Amino acid sequence: MSESSKQKRERAARVNRPRLETIGLIYAREMRDQLRDRRTLFTIIVLPILLYPIVGMLLLQIAQFTQQHPISVCVIGMEHVQSAATGDIPPLLVEKEAEEESDAPVKALPQYRFADAVSEDVRNVNVTTYRTSELERTGDLSKRSETWVRDGIYDCVICFETPLSGANPVHPNEQGTIGLFYNVASDQSLVARERMASILNRWRGTWVRNRLSSAGMELSVLDPFQVRDVDIAPERTREAAFWSKLLPFIMLIWAMTGAFYPAIDLVAGEKERGTLETLLCSPTLRSEIVWGKLGAVMSFSMMTAILNACSMLVTSTFVFNQIAIGPAGGSMGTPPLIPMLWLFVALIPLSALFSALALAVAAMARSSKEGQYYLMPLMMLTLPLVLLPMLPGTTLSLGTSLIPVTGMFLLVRTLVEGHMFEALTYVPTVALVTGICLWMAVQWARRQFESESVLFGDGDQWELGAWFRHLWRDRQLAATPTVAFGCGAVVLVGLFFGKLAVTEMPTTLAGIATLVLIPQLGLILAPTLLMSIMLTTSLRTSLRLSLPSWQTWPVIGVLCVMLHPLYIQLAGWISTMYPLSDQAAEAMLPFTQQIASAPWTSVILLMAFVPAICEEITFRGFIFGGLVRGGHPLRAVLVTALMFGISHGVLQQSISATFMGLLLGWIALRTGSVLPGIAIHFCNNALSVSLQRVAELDLPILNELILSTANGPAYHPYWTACCFIVSAACLGGIYRITQNVDSINSNDALADRVILGSNATDPSLKRLSPATQ
Amino acid sequence: MIHVQHLTKAYEDLRRGRFLAVDHISFCVQPGEIFGLLGPNGAGKTTVLRILSTVLRPSSGIATIDGYDVSHEPAEVRRRIGFVSNNTAIYDRMTAWEMVGYFGRLHGMQRDELNDRLEKLFSQLRMNEFRDVPGSKMSTGMQQKVSIARALVHDPPVLIFDEATLGLDVLVARNLLEVIRELREAGKCLIFSTHIMSEVERLCDRIAIMHRGRILDSGTLDELVDRHEEQNFEELFFSLLSEHETAESNEQNLMSGNYQTTTETLATTEVVR
Repeated sequence: MSESSKQKRERAARVNRPRLETIGLIYAREMRDQLRDRRTLFTIIVLPILLYPIVGMLLLQIAQFTQQHPISVCVIGMEHVQSAATGDIPPLLVEKEAEEESDAPVKALPQYRFADAVSEDVRNVNVTTYRTSELERTGDLSKRSETWVRDGIYDCVICFETPLSGANPVHPNEQGTIGLFYNVASDQSLVARERMASILNRWRGTWVRNRLSSAGMELSVLDPFQVRDVDIAPERTREAAFWSKLLPFIMLIWAMTGAFYPAIDLVAGEKERGTLETLLCSPTLRSEIVWGKLGAVMSFSMMTAILNACSMLVTSTFVFNQIAIGPAGGSMGTPPLIPMLWLFVALIPLSALFSALALAVAAMARSSKEGQYYLMPLMMLTLPLVLLPMLPGTTLSLGTSLIPVTGMFLLVRTLVEGHMFEALTYVPTVALVTGICLWMAVQWARRQFESESVLFGDGDQWELGAWFRHLWRDRQLAATPTVAFGCGAVVLVGLFFGKLAVTEMPTTLAGIATLVLIPQLGLILAPTLLMSIMLTTSLRTSLRLSLPSWQTWPVIGVLCVMLHPLYIQLAGWISTMYPLSDQAAEAMLPFTQQIASAPWTSVILLMAFVPAICEEITFRGFIFGGLVRGGHPLRAVLVTALMFGISHGVLQQSISATFMGLLLGWIALRTGSVLPGIAIHFCNNALSVSLQRVAELDLPILNELILSTANGPAYHPYWTACCFIVSAACLGGIYRITQNVDSINSNDALADRVILGSNATDPSLKRLSPATQ
Repeated sequence: MIHVQHLTKAYEDLRRGRFLAVDHISFCVQPGEIFGLLGPNGAGKTTVLRILSTVLRPSSGIATIDGYDVSHEPAEVRRRIGFVSNNTAIYDRMTAWEMVGYFGRLHGMQRDELNDRLEKLFSQLRMNEFRDVPGSKMSTGMQQKVSIARALVHDPPVLIFDEATLGLDVLVARNLLEVIRELREAGKCLIFSTHIMSEVERLCDRIAIMHRGRILDSGTLDELVDRHEEQNFEELFFSLLSEHETAESNEQNLMSGNYQTTTETLATTEVVR
């Protein structure tokens, strides 16, 4: 071995670099394999081509059916109608023409229809008429009408309950009543009611006009003005608005579905058949396998999305033209095809994202069937991101552009609608967010393919009893990752339900105290302590209570004060990006007032001391300690920050808490202790609740730093900038001082050694096998 | 060719907690030799072979193949091994020819070279009559042949057979053993795991008997029979196993005065049984 270490490293790097040729080879095989699979072909190619025409045909049929279905209406109290139809009162009902009944052998009762003057479309309405006297013998008219409508004998009943004004011989000016009976549970009845109401309205209108004109009045007194509706959007834009909402949605849903099935087959299916193992024994790198498979899954995802979108476009253009449903009741027209090309551009990263996620999730499954179980929750989690942009009022802004998938969706919509420049300003953020998500998803998928327990975890029977025994028997110094995740889940779910239980904001300090203490002590600290006592062997190690090295103390002390202006700045940015609704702000008002007026010590105790202790011990202590094990510092920092964020109920608070969580997590990682986190958290909260009081002290030095603004005291921008620089320097200092990241890892190693040590008393470890003796 | 020293693999398990699937085992295999790993189900044979084929990483210990360490230079190791697993891993929607060809390409073989090699392999293993049959339509025997052809396509110096005769009928199994013998003649280094004693007796040059992650004894067949003074191999195998179990439980009872360890050991014994 005459190679220098540098050459060796280079060779190793060369060996570990994925080769395009191998990726291509794997991609080609997976594609061919999937294209030979009848099920895949069916869901991806045949189904979309057939689905939309069939659905379209059905829609057409149903539309025709509803249009032709006649409405049956019963009019009770014909005598009022007839007596009213004199003089200036226009007729409501007219007798049907004789030609329709000439064939009838017996002269039947007269059939009526609505007069042309009051009804636009008199066809498809069957009118049955009764005089009041005909029904009065059978009981109450209203009851009878109700029964008829409820039983569906008539869709709608018009009941003339009292004589109409002008037709009443006794009191000519008394207002009459007409009962309109309908059933809101039946669509048909609702339609009938709409039509009848409009007929009656029109009848009344004509009636009033006739009266006025007979009284010699100008008709214009009724209508001083008319409203001219002007939609300035050209026809093209209106169409684009509709399509730009619908098409991305359809495409994303299908991109997701199209990624799932191949992903299951390519990973879980291959595991099931045992071919994955042979593939792993071949000289292909794991990364090559992942890229090849990712490419294949992505191709199918895109193919499905594009085929579905095209098929839907073609069909719907025909169908919508026929049945005329759409934004303005008019036809949809054809979608703007050229701007739609943006959709295809956006589809590439989103398909890649879905594919990588599906691949990673599918890798956890041992069989195709199991894969299906896993992918459903994934779909449920991603669906809100696709649905959010469909909600009315969601538009592209800095805030929405930072939400994965949603941002891309909205960007495409803006592009399709033709607002090129507005869209361009958000391209960087959307690209950045999508890029980060994509990178994380691919990393996850790659990690899955490198994990032995994922690839070869044999499914030994999971059993509740055995699991509890395992938890107890294999207790370690600190929490295991599973226990840490479990603790996080318990805390977050508990907080969620705890929040539901609070119905109104308390107005007294005692009320606020319970509102803070119950979740903090009962829902955050208690489960953590319980788990720490029951599932680990050392409280000190599992809660990371050890003292950090003494050099870090002054630095932490500086950070305690200097981080607060940065936090305020961050919170400010967030509230401009995602403004707090007035309602929420109002709900918070009594809370803030109480905080401002209550004694300072109790406020500090409630708002700073308790949360700092409880939250830090849980998130940066117990959960962090579990997640950081096995060399996963990134996981520990990210997950605890996210959990910490979610535990704050208000969105704006959650976001700033997540960012603070990242910072606190990093400090916890470097110092290996929960104590700096507690200190910083405490100071931050304490300063937040006492800034007002500090400003009121009116000290000359502080007045330089703290400005009073309309929204209360704020830090001077120069001070904020100064804090930024100093804090950055402090963080750098922490990085320098704590050379061994692995104060935690050494903890971890210690924990693992203890486990091994317990086995070492077992003779199996000490004795060598006979072959080597 | 194959050197294994103090190889250990630990697993976390729900019922047993942390346990050693492979417990400090050591052995060597030379070229032109068939090394048999014999042991009951769950002895850790598959784990050893998976570590050798680089799909699992050892917890401690060293394993090298042709001088390359399995955990540090897995890519080099994979170039030099052919792995035939106990489930005849075949792609359902690929023909025999495509399947073997695909793995040849993954090993970086060029088209012409690969075609020659495929023709040679297919006639050698008498696979020409089903070269265009897709995997889902093949019989188990055909699938096993494809598996072997796949493992041989890049002409590796080391071949690993993990319970390769499992589920094959007598005729096919016999054929397979024949192929393995031919490979030995060609100077390959073979490692062969099974729980069927007769196969080991007929085939292997040297044998290691594995039980609960440990190698109880190893050597040639004659050496083993001589050393343990048993008249045949089967008796030898069973006596070794039972000897080991009693020794183990005695040892543990002696060593651990405390109650807990004893119960744990008993539980472990039960689980393994």
